[in-house]
Amino acid sequence: MTPDRSDVLYGTLGLMVIKTLEALGPLHGYRIARRIEQISGNQLALNQGTLYPALLKLEQTGWISSKWGTSESGRRVRIYALTRAGRKQLHQEEAQWQRAASIVERFLKISQDPS
Amino acid sequence: MTRLRIFLFRLWALVRARQMDREIDDEISAHLAEAAEEYVQQGLSPEEARRAAQRNFGGVAQTKEVYRQVRSFMWLTEVPRDLRYALRTLRKSPTFTITAAATLSLAIGATTAMFSVLNAVLLRPLPYRSADQLAMLWTEDPTQNLREGRSALWDVEQWRGQSQTFADVATFDSVSTLLTAADGVEQIVGASVSPNLLPVLGVQPIVGRSFSSDEAEQGERLVLISHRFWQARFGGSHDALGTTLVLNGMPSRIIGILPADFQIARLNADVWQAHTTHRSVRGGQTWFVVARLRPGVTFDRAQAEMSAVARRLNDQLPAADRNRGISVVPLSLDVVGPQSRLALWMLGGAVFCVFLIAAANVTSLSLARSTARAREIAVRAALGANAGRIVRQLLTESVLLALVSGLIGTLLASGGIRLIRAFGPGTIPRLTEVSLDLSVLGWALAISLLAGILVGLAPAMTAVRRNLRLSAEEGGRSVSGGTSSRRIRRALVVAEFALAIVLLVGAGLLVRSWWYVTNIDPGFTPERVLVMNVSSPPTFSVPAQRADLYRRVLEQIQAVPGVESAGIADDLFTDNPREHVLTVERDDGTVSDRLRLTRDEVSADFFRTLGTPLRRGRFFSIEDRPEAPPVAIVNDAMARRSWPGHDPVGRRFKVGPRESDGQWYTVVGVVADMHRQGLEREPLPQIFVSLAQNPPSRNVDLFVRTAADDPLAMAGALRAAVRGVDKNAPIYGVAPLEQQLGTYLTQRRFQTSLLSGFSVVALLMAAVGIYGLIQYSIATRTQEIGLRLAIGAQAGDIFRMIIGEGLTLSLIGVAIGLMGAWWLGRAGSSLLLGVTASDPWTFTAVSLLLTAVAIAACFFPARRAMKVDPIVALRVS
Repeated sequence: MTPDRSDVLYGTLGLMVIKTLEALGPLHGYRIARRIEQISGNQLALNQGTLYPALLKLEQTGWISSKWGTSESGRRVRIYALTRAGRKQLHQEEAQWQRAASIVERFLKISQDPS
Repeated sequence: MTRLRIFLFRLWALVRARQMDREIDDEISAHLAEAAEEYVQQGLSPEEARRAAQRNFGGVAQTKEVYRQVRSFMWLTEVPRDLRYALRTLRKSPTFTITAAATLSLAIGATTAMFSVLNAVLLRPLPYRSADQLAMLWTEDPTQNLREGRSALWDVEQWRGQSQTFADVATFDSVSTLLTAADGVEQIVGASVSPNLLPVLGVQPIVGRSFSSDEAEQGERLVLISHRFWQARFGGSHDALGTTLVLNGMPSRIIGILPADFQIARLNADVWQAHTTHRSVRGGQTWFVVARLRPGVTFDRAQAEMSAVARRLNDQLPAADRNRGISVVPLSLDVVGPQSRLALWMLGGAVFCVFLIAAANVTSLSLARSTARAREIAVRAALGANAGRIVRQLLTESVLLALVSGLIGTLLASGGIRLIRAFGPGTIPRLTEVSLDLSVLGWALAISLLAGILVGLAPAMTAVRRNLRLSAEEGGRSVSGGTSSRRIRRALVVAEFALAIVLLVGAGLLVRSWWYVTNIDPGFTPERVLVMNVSSPPTFSVPAQRADLYRRVLEQIQAVPGVESAGIADDLFTDNPREHVLTVERDDGTVSDRLRLTRDEVSADFFRTLGTPLRRGRFFSIEDRPEAPPVAIVNDAMARRSWPGHDPVGRRFKVGPRESDGQWYTVVGVVADMHRQGLEREPLPQIFVSLAQNPPSRNVDLFVRTAADDPLAMAGALRAAVRGVDKNAPIYGVAPLEQQLGTYLTQRRFQTSLLSGFSVVALLMAAVGIYGLIQYSIATRTQEIGLRLAIGAQAGDIFRMIIGEGLTLSLIGVAIGLMGAWWLGRAGSSLLLGVTASDPWTFTAVSLLLTAVAIAACFFPARRAMKVDPIVALRVS
């Protein structure tokens, strides 16, 4: 049986999604997936499919909203946009991540020093 | 806030599930198309582009599955699927399903039937307004061992006047009543009540009205009739109102009809009349007293107040009477006494034990089955089912099984309820009210769900744990995953044996009490004796007329062929004898004493007819004529109490205080104690005086010893003989004496046979449980046994090993159970007679029985284990 890692994934994936939407404005699913792949330099080998449950969860929480529209190539696609609550959440999470990252960074430096 | 939002979103998704399914399909295909288009622009062929897009996307089906889980309440959409799957698996293994369902439905049926009894008798409120505020008030005198005594009206008036805690107080008593109708005279049950009884109980007549206190004062004779009497006599017609009934020779006008099944404290009369009160007289007739507490007053407070009232009243009483107390007993406790309550709770507990044993057995079965299903579950896990999903699946299966069993069980219970109403002992009150109502159905549902969860939880948890290990072990064929389930099954067997022994000890103790009680000498030989109640017609108001009637009846009866002897007494069986002041002459002077006793006029042949042994002196004879000195016979208990250590023959006593002008009687004989309150109660002091010398009562019991083995066969001839003397003399209650004595044992028989039945079922189930476990343990250990044999173990060693395993488990269970039984036995010791709650014989016998059953259950599987062929066993692996 595979342990349930989805929550962790949604956590970080969700942050990436709302950051992407903040930077680029409303986008449809495929564009969001490609953007995340590009930013992460293709190091994040994620199944694009996992994006959709994450999007749904974000929409349920109220951080993004969606409506049907048309892609650049003329297909009917669902377009996701950041809501005000999502923007607020993003700022909070960015701050949190940065704090956490800096703590870890300092920690790693300290443990390297003695050697 | 966010939680609520998610909840609403999911709820919404539930409504438009189909549309959302379509939308995600569209969204995914759009995604794939966009991706493929990009790959084509990068120079891939359309086919390669499509495949690349799909590779990057991952599993479409899995994505949709996860998506659906996020979208709405996952379990809700999965329930139908789980149900379908559960049905399929249950159908695939019919042996398991039928065994488990049969066991569970019997267990659920039994608990449900038992609950319906507890519900009707103990839990449902009595059919009065705010019945929890009603109390019985009793006079008691601890120095005379007088509890729950009736009270004189004068006392009741004092209580009513001095009490702050009671809103009102009412009195009632039964009176034997003769109804004169066109077709002759008939004996019916009547009640004499204070005019305020119905308002105190909060009961309204369904037709007409109740008494008003003015009418009672005016002395107009009015009567309320029971619903049953109304249906039988008037066919339920409203013309009954205003009709006149001739009761005890007096015309009485019907003013109202009581609700169906109306009764008060076991008094279930057909005609209810208001009694006129004589407030000035102290003493005199005594009554049952029921009172209503003021709202918000507790029984404790009422008791405290009444104790104070009793102390004040004692100061006004003669010195001999100054120990009077008043006890306040909730009416519900009075209707169903502590003995019946204890017996019913005990039976309820016993049924629940049987239920637990049954559940343990089915759990054990499904544990064995889930080990066999390990591979199936491993496959489901590999296909993406997580732990919660598997637990839910297995629980759905067991709950479905339990619900189906619950349905069958409820049907069984409704049959059982019909049996209980038809054959349950009449001595348990309110048993006729037992029915399959909503709360019983609710119980059935709850107990079924409980069974489903109990049965499913252990297999589900072990399945999950095993799976974690199996996925690590790749191969997944190993049986090592069975160890935890085997540990649980062993614990279940131990628990079954512990529960079974508690039931068996309880049953054993009750059976010993039963033997003891049925071997008590009643003080008479009831075989071949027929009893009938004969009343004198209402016109016989002069005692001499009645005496003459009874004398002639006896003559006629004795002339009937097949009659050996016949006798008359007031009443053989008495439920609630009154207390009397008795003055006796002793060596040390004349002593007055208040005590509970019976005093009856009996005919000369009464003792010979009943076969009651004479201890001293003589029986009555024809010499004891009306003009001769008054004589009396007393029983052993009376002799011991009033003339301790002396021969009472020749001594004198009178009923009444020393200074009263009561008749002095000379004791001429002492007879053996007769158990006139049933075998289980100690005989009271009894006085018998001669029918010829004393005014006889209006109705008497006629006892006829017949030559025939079945005395009832003589009933017709005897009836005709009485009719021959006076066709207006009502006869009723014709029954063999054995049967009348037996009714006192019905409740004991009921509880003893039920508990014995339950414990036998428990024993069988425990045996099946240990058999199944050992059988299964051998099946999974075939290789091990083969290996042992191959390296030199003897068949006998294997046999001993298997028997030893079973024996260890059963002995642990027995040890735990004995402790429980010892503890519970003391709690229920008031149900026992002639045996102590820790009776060593019962405990030993039951332990041996259970151990023997355990060995027998292990014997056959162990024999089979001895015959394991090591070659075959080892080749299997």
